[in-house]
Amino acid sequence: MTTSDQNPLSATALPSYPGSADLVRSVVGQALALRGLTKSFGGRPAVDHVDLDVPTGSFFGLVGPNGAGKTTTLSMVTGLLRPDAGRVIVAGVDVWTDPAAAKARMGVLPDGLRLFERLSGPELLSYLGRLRGIPAEVVSARAAELITVLDLDDAGNKLVADYSTGMRKKITLAAALLHSPAVLLLDEPLEAVDPVSARIIRNVLHRYTTGGGTVVFSSHVMALVEGLCSHVAVMANGRIIAAGELAEVRGSAASLDDAFMHLVGASDVQEGGLSWLGSSQV
Amino acid sequence: MVGVFASLKWRLVTSRLRATRGATRAWLIVGMVVLFLFLGLITFGLASLRMLPDVALPVITTMFAVQLIGWVLTPLVAFGVDETVDPARFALLPLRPQTLQVGLLTSSLIGYFPVANMIVLLGAAVALGVPWSVLPIAVLCAAAQLLLCVVLSRAASTSMSGLMASRRGRDLGMAVGLLIFLLYMGFVAVINNPGDGNALQGGTEAVASVLQWTPPGALATLPNLVATGQWAHAGLAAVIALAALGLAWWWWSVALARSLTTVPSTTAGSSPAGDSHDTAVGVGVRGTMQVVAGRDRVLLWRDPMRRMPWLMLAVLTVVWPFLVVRGQGAVFAVTLGAIFCGAQAGNQYGVEGSGLWLHLQTITDRTRARGEVLGHAITAVLPGTVVILVAIAVQAVARDDYPNVPAALGVCFGAMLGAVSAACYLSAALPYAQPQSRKSLFASSVPGQKGRTAAASLGLIGGGLAVALPAVAAVVLSLTVDPAWGWLALVLGPLAGVIALVIASRMTANRYLENSTEIFAVVSAGDRV
Repeated sequence: MTTSDQNPLSATALPSYPGSADLVRSVVGQALALRGLTKSFGGRPAVDHVDLDVPTGSFFGLVGPNGAGKTTTLSMVTGLLRPDAGRVIVAGVDVWTDPAAAKARMGVLPDGLRLFERLSGPELLSYLGRLRGIPAEVVSARAAELITVLDLDDAGNKLVADYSTGMRKKITLAAALLHSPAVLLLDEPLEAVDPVSARIIRNVLHRYTTGGGTVVFSSHVMALVEGLCSHVAVMANGRIIAAGELAEVRGSAASLDDAFMHLVGASDVQEGGLSWLGSSQV
Repeated sequence: MVGVFASLKWRLVTSRLRATRGATRAWLIVGMVVLFLFLGLITFGLASLRMLPDVALPVITTMFAVQLIGWVLTPLVAFGVDETVDPARFALLPLRPQTLQVGLLTSSLIGYFPVANMIVLLGAAVALGVPWSVLPIAVLCAAAQLLLCVVLSRAASTSMSGLMASRRGRDLGMAVGLLIFLLYMGFVAVINNPGDGNALQGGTEAVASVLQWTPPGALATLPNLVATGQWAHAGLAAVIALAALGLAWWWWSVALARSLTTVPSTTAGSSPAGDSHDTAVGVGVRGTMQVVAGRDRVLLWRDPMRRMPWLMLAVLTVVWPFLVVRGQGAVFAVTLGAIFCGAQAGNQYGVEGSGLWLHLQTITDRTRARGEVLGHAITAVLPGTVVILVAIAVQAVARDDYPNVPAALGVCFGAMLGAVSAACYLSAALPYAQPQSRKSLFASSVPGQKGRTAAASLGLIGGGLAVALPAVAAVVLSLTVDPAWGWLALVLGPLAGVIALVIASRMTANRYLENSTEIFAVVSAGDRV
């Protein structure tokens, strides 16, 4: 048996969190609140004592370069990854002390995870809706409406395994919306999605926030975040380095992109070097 | 360029060893030494066949043919076992097809599997090289046999690579896997035929007389033809072998050129799903169980990865007792199939890879978690019950063994329910990742988790046997004291099984809720393979 064969399930206890009901009371009005959220992999911190407040009804963008810790943070928020420390309050419920109540209040669209591939889109929605305890006829009506709005009618009874990337994002979004959650947590929802599907997804998300829902979504496409979000948090090296209303974070910079480059300390490609590039005679 | 391919393959072959340290490395080396000692034993056994030339020729002729078929079919069943021979990985490199082909041939000859084949073939060469003067010819023939195996195998796998890149193609590979299993069962049934003591020897000779005209058969018979001065026949054998090698090389080059310049169709979809009319709702244990079992029932037939094992074990459960037990008592041999039926409830959380996140979001309390466990369990228990009933009925009728039926039913149901219970609990206690690329029906674990997979598999067999013990005790009494005790087995087996399942479902649900994120991390590794 190799070392990786050793039981990784030994750490069964929930991490101890500071505070109790006081914290939940103190974040009333916030759809999502993170306090001291921390996660390390092999001793290297991926998310480092993150504090964040997401106001109810906001369209909140979590931006950062690849490896900044966005997906790790969202995984801990959605209950897919156990934090080393810290607390996550979603719609007034602590995710790690009352996961059942918290997960009933959230809709999730993760990035790069599989679905139940051998079910068709309608079957997937029907299954997940009924598993959440929603009556079959209600699930059926909502699923049909979501499929129409998300332009998935043409897929018919095609298996999810045969869906394109855009279709997969849309059916996952439909599954996330099916139980009408208070908060939507979306990890790179428009990554590798065609423009038509992207427009449809954006419209649905707008309608959702107009109805009072809160959207938290991660992205590394600044123009997208600037065009969609009311609030934004910039993440780098596992920490939140700026957060607030979009205009506030952007400050005096010409665009969010420029502000982001300044905040994360990145610079454009320097002059000089690469003189050989483009000179190949082969 | 050949050197580059050879060094690339050598690094890949030795990477596992280089990546390990200490005791793990020591065990790996010990394992390899044991394997090579075992191979040495086979080689020695083959080489000693030179004392029995009448036996050596038909046996090695058949062996050569089986070896070639094995080489050709293995990549179809388990495509991707050797990434250095997947042409798609070289498509963007500025290489001429001829250079690539020679490089790939070199890669194919380096590795544990080809070396093992070389060692065994050396033993065959010694057996065929009678007298010693024709040994060089026998060695040449053995080398040509290895080349033929490699070239034909690569030609077939390259031709199939486009097909195997699509999900539908891989589903087809699973069907081929089932076919091979059925052929194997048929083969075992034929050679086990007790009616004629010489069936095995006579059968092999008859088969070999036909096979000698095939390329591998021609290579096996060539040394003997030279030794006995049958020059015309020897020339014909040489032509058959060389022509086959040339044709296989040509086929490979054509397939390689095509695979490097065309994009396989990956849009070929499956048959669309039918309309689903399930109306169960996940409220309470019973409701959740019905919802989960409803999905499992659909997938049981729709997903080849779930369907094929059931078809295999249905055949195994009915046929296997005929092979291992003569006369009365064969009904009890159905127990093995019963345990395998129960095993189908195994690794519940790993089947869908990272798709488990959908359940992590929806199955969040103890009631639903228990419902899910029972839903998966019932999907194994219901078809398992049918398989057991049919298998025992077939054995009882064929062997006229009705008195043992109640006892056998008791043991089988106890074993199946015990295996289901152990499978449920081990799903949460010892989950493992299942390769989600579905390249092979037989690839059930991912690198680094083979130990977990083996432990979980053995654990559920042990669980099945343990729960069947009360029924087994009653069976012993029925066989030694009074057949009426068999009826007690019929009560004890299912009773112990149901109790085990109720307890296991509670323990599994608790363990799942405590460890769901860790289970998710373990099983998500299947996405990468």
